[in-house]
Amino acid sequence: MRRAGLALAFAACALALPARAQTPAELVSHGIRAYQNLDYDSASAMLQAALVRPGAALTDSDRIRGLVYLGASQLYRDRRDSAAAVFGRVLRLDPRYRIDQLVFPPEITGLFQQVRLVTRAVTVIVPAQIELRAPGDAVPIALYATTLHPVDVIVLRPDGTRLRTLYQGGVGDSLVVRWDGRAADGTPADSGRYGLVVTSHAADSRVVRSVAIPLDVARVRRDTLPWPAPVPDSLVLPEQAPGRSGMRSLGAGFVAALATVVLPSIVAGRASGAGDRFVVAGGLSLAAVLGFRGERHPQPIPGNIAANRALQEAWQRQADSVQAVNVARVAEVRLLIRAGAAHVTEGP
Amino acid sequence: MKRALPLLLLALAARPVPLAAQLPRYLGLDVGLSRLQFQSSSPSGGEKLSGFAALGHWRIVLRPVSLDLSYAQGRLAADTGSAVARSFVEGAVFLTARPAPWLVLKAGPHVRAYAAPGGTERWILWEGRAHADAPLLDGEWLAYGELWVSVASSVNVVPGASGARGAEVGLTLKLPQSPVWGRLAYAVDQANLKTGARTESLQSVVLTAGFGGR
Repeated sequence: MRRAGLALAFAACALALPARAQTPAELVSHGIRAYQNLDYDSASAMLQAALVRPGAALTDSDRIRGLVYLGASQLYRDRRDSAAAVFGRVLRLDPRYRIDQLVFPPEITGLFQQVRLVTRAVTVIVPAQIELRAPGDAVPIALYATTLHPVDVIVLRPDGTRLRTLYQGGVGDSLVVRWDGRAADGTPADSGRYGLVVTSHAADSRVVRSVAIPLDVARVRRDTLPWPAPVPDSLVLPEQAPGRSGMRSLGAGFVAALATVVLPSIVAGRASGAGDRFVVAGGLSLAAVLGFRGERHPQPIPGNIAANRALQEAWQRQADSVQAVNVARVAEVRLLIRAGAAHVTEGP
Repeated sequence: MKRALPLLLLALAARPVPLAAQLPRYLGLDVGLSRLQFQSSSPSGGEKLSGFAALGHWRIVLRPVSLDLSYAQGRLAADTGSAVARSFVEGAVFLTARPAPWLVLKAGPHVRAYAAPGGTERWILWEGRAHADAPLLDGEWLAYGELWVSVASSVNVVPGASGARGAEVGLTLKLPQSPVWGRLAYAVDQANLKTGARTESLQSVVLTAGFGGR
């Protein structure tokens, strides 16, 4: 009675001056020290005081540590149901938690194990981000259960309807389920926010706990290869030997011949033209006639044509190769999946 | 205006011209003979001489410009009884550019002298020339025409030079796949003294053989 009164007074002081003297973490430390000093009433009071604070006031590890010592204190205070409830809370917070058998005596670890056997909860671990590139790639979804119990693992569409059931069955300790980013019919998921939901069932199939993790799915397309540069004109050989117009030769020759005849009067008006110039005029005229007779049509150059064709075919092969790669890349679906924070719902 | 033309030609020569830049480095040499006919006229009368001259013509193509050098030397004898025979010497240096495959522009000095026992008449002409080629047969036979005008002129005869102009028309015959060619041309020019004191014209029919290599 006297001890209870002291504990009550201490708890009252602790509750009255939380901000002034002690933070929740300090209260947890003091509570644990009181437990180690076998002062279970004080320990319970301080730990309860620390744990009633809002969730952000304590880290998850401090909260679980405080809960474990609170459960142990309650057990030593002959409050077994309360202790079991506290241990259940620990397991729901962290289904993978195992009590340290070197720290706690068998009666405590025994009760914890009993509670674990009846508490149905699962921890779900999903990579924060993963890209599914090749067929066979999948998101690994690791499940860690408190005890053997049936679970459903499903993926919900953005509108909340079921896209795919990944697993239905029991989980004893751990299980890895894989999702390849596709619906049951193999269709890749479109971009959007999907939901991964893992539900734990009771023996009567009642849903006792759900863990929901948002999955942001984005389709990623690979860049296509650039089209090969066209064959530069500098590499293309002329395919025809240029022709020559006979009329042009004739005209040019005769104009030059005529110029030869009239130049003296144009350039040196008063001088008499040299008769020798007619030799030049005659030569030009003759060349003009020969040029006219030698008119030639454009002729194909087979060697150049073959070289150009080989060049074009090489380019076409390169273009076909690029096109094939690009078609494959366009058809290829890559999924970038980002997982959000888990949201736990207790009960159905 | 007279100074602007050579400057323009020099600018054209110095301008990087893609077509000209495609031309190979090239060295060509023409040698030949020229039949000359000299004629002068003045208010007091005139004289007429004719003769032959040996000539040489070098062309060095240095992309994008070329250098043309020519030299001729000969002797003129009187066609009329009163004229005095004289020696004829002529030289020219032209910087050339080819703004189009068929067109060559030239600019440079042209010196001509008539050396007679009584004295030597020397002309110095700064000329601008335009030369055009027209293929006649397979690109091996070419007809060409060339016009020129002096933009500055001087002569050591009173009352001085008042300008000159000239033209040349010819035919170049090149042997296929050969560095050898022949040229037959006719040229005529007229130089004037100031105040119309005298005009001198020189006509020449030129026959040369050339050789060129890259």
